[in-house]
Amino acid sequence: PPLLLSLSPAPTDRQNSKSLSLWAGGQAAMESPTSAASRVDFYGFLDRMRRPEAADLFRSIKSFLASLSLDEPSAEADGARVQAFFAEMEAAIRGHPLWADATHQEIDHALEGLEKYIMTKLFDRTFAASPEDAAADAEVSDKIGLLQRFVRPHHLDIPKVLNNEASWLIAVKELQKINSFKSPWEKLLCMMSCCQVINNLLLNVSMTNDRTPSGADEFLPILIYITIKANPPQLHSNLKFVQLFRRETKLVSEVEYYLTNLISAKMFIINVNGHSLSMEESEFQKHMESAKLGTQMSVASPSSSQGLATSTSGLQKQIDAEGSRFPFMDSETENLTQAELKQLHGLYRKTVTRYTLLSKALRKLSIDEDQLLASVDDS
Amino acid sequence: MGCSSSLPANSTGGLGNINNENSATDSKNLKVKLVLLGDSGVGKSCIVLRFVRGQFDPTSKVTIGASFLSQTLALEDSTTVKFEIWDTAGQERYAALAPLYYRGAGAAIVVYDITSAESFNKAQYWVKELQRHGSQDMIMALVGNKADLHEKRTVSSQEAQEHADMNNMFFVETSAKTADNINQLFEEIAKRLPRPTPLS
Repeated sequence: PPLLLSLSPAPTDRQNSKSLSLWAGGQAAMESPTSAASRVDFYGFLDRMRRPEAADLFRSIKSFLASLSLDEPSAEADGARVQAFFAEMEAAIRGHPLWADATHQEIDHALEGLEKYIMTKLFDRTFAASPEDAAADAEVSDKIGLLQRFVRPHHLDIPKVLNNEASWLIAVKELQKINSFKSPWEKLLCMMSCCQVINNLLLNVSMTNDRTPSGADEFLPILIYITIKANPPQLHSNLKFVQLFRRETKLVSEVEYYLTNLISAKMFIINVNGHSLSMEESEFQKHMESAKLGTQMSVASPSSSQGLATSTSGLQKQIDAEGSRFPFMDSETENLTQAELKQLHGLYRKTVTRYTLLSKALRKLSIDEDQLLASVDDS
Repeated sequence: MGCSSSLPANSTGGLGNINNENSATDSKNLKVKLVLLGDSGVGKSCIVLRFVRGQFDPTSKVTIGASFLSQTLALEDSTTVKFEIWDTAGQERYAALAPLYYRGAGAAIVVYDITSAESFNKAQYWVKELQRHGSQDMIMALVGNKADLHEKRTVSSQEAQEHADMNNMFFVETSAKTADNINQLFEEIAKRLPRPTPLS
């Protein structure tokens, strides 16, 4: 059947197995994502669907996709129809001769395969398809872009003992993978892997330091911080997509809990203010303003080396024009007296000290010096 | 010990409700989502860890995560209740996120520290919040933790009991440290869960 063969899941599968192994590599756990059944046996599903006995199922899939395509895309309405179809197909597969002797696990694989197949087909129609979703994604991403510049672990009540850049980086990378996949299950796995890395960190710290774990009091702040660091692509749309299109029967228990945490991380970020970061509102606004300034500068001159070249020549002219305000600017080196050299050396020291401090201050504000110079020239 | 608890008060809240999709699987094996609320540092997660580790049924599958735990409790009437326990961050800055967690919960435990009046105030806030926005048939427990520190007590058990009675909750004082009343707490919640009516 050409419809099935046209699908090419290959490029992302290797990454996926890495996510899977990370998640499974955690502590022994109970349901779905952690069990052996989590290996999405997609090719197995495709193979079975190619058999003549599966023709009826195949027809159902084809006609479902066709009927959906007749209506205007709407993620919410599509979500309800897709969920109903999943339930219908689940019943059909359970009662199908092809799966007559299948284990619970094999049936689960088939259903995962079905979800992945359907959602890959419907991806463009259902993922971040509306202008509202695109706007919401941009809003979250812009907000995070600003927060990244000044939010530090202590603003969120993360105790120092849990500061572990290496673990955090792994969690960040896991979360940033969400757009490498098109199926709700695989996207969800990226989120779960991220949470699992945090859990492992909390577990390790509590064991090595003989410290009572504080549960969500520590988990959520770290997840929020990781989310800010990661600025995961299209966070709003990814969360919405998983909520609407992950098979309902699988979005329960632990998986539902961790998804809820990521949804609350997003909500915290959208509503963030001075109070939520333990600072005066005025201080928060000041941070946001200078973060915006920093962002504008990076946007204004994306290529700093080029910008610098023109800007120094521009600055040179300006300084030349104002030369009379600075001593020695027009002096010839060989004409300087010993006393003048001494004075010049003093000025040099002051200038170096001041420049070093300024440079440090700029770095603290995450402002790139070269870009700043370029922007002075532009104005 | 003077810190022994007052045992569950009589409450009728939620009893007799049926078909609660959040707490029922079948008549013998129940499943319930339980949410934990309370100020940070009152020992929410210690209570749960005590409960989860205290069960020695080798056949039960236990998930130990930092903030999500699940444990199955077998009752005398041969029903089992699987608790899926959702912890929430107790710091003030995260309070606005709580509704995302208690939505759809069949049970809630509101925890305070008997040595901290501040944490009791916070507990009262959560109780009010649940009364307003939680589901009608939610089983709610008010729990005064750190009962082993009774010499530092600042919240009287009588006051807490009254507050619980007023809000149709049951009240118990626990010590996650000595495991006092931990099992009783979960057993009492299990007993109060609405049973699905068997198909006639």
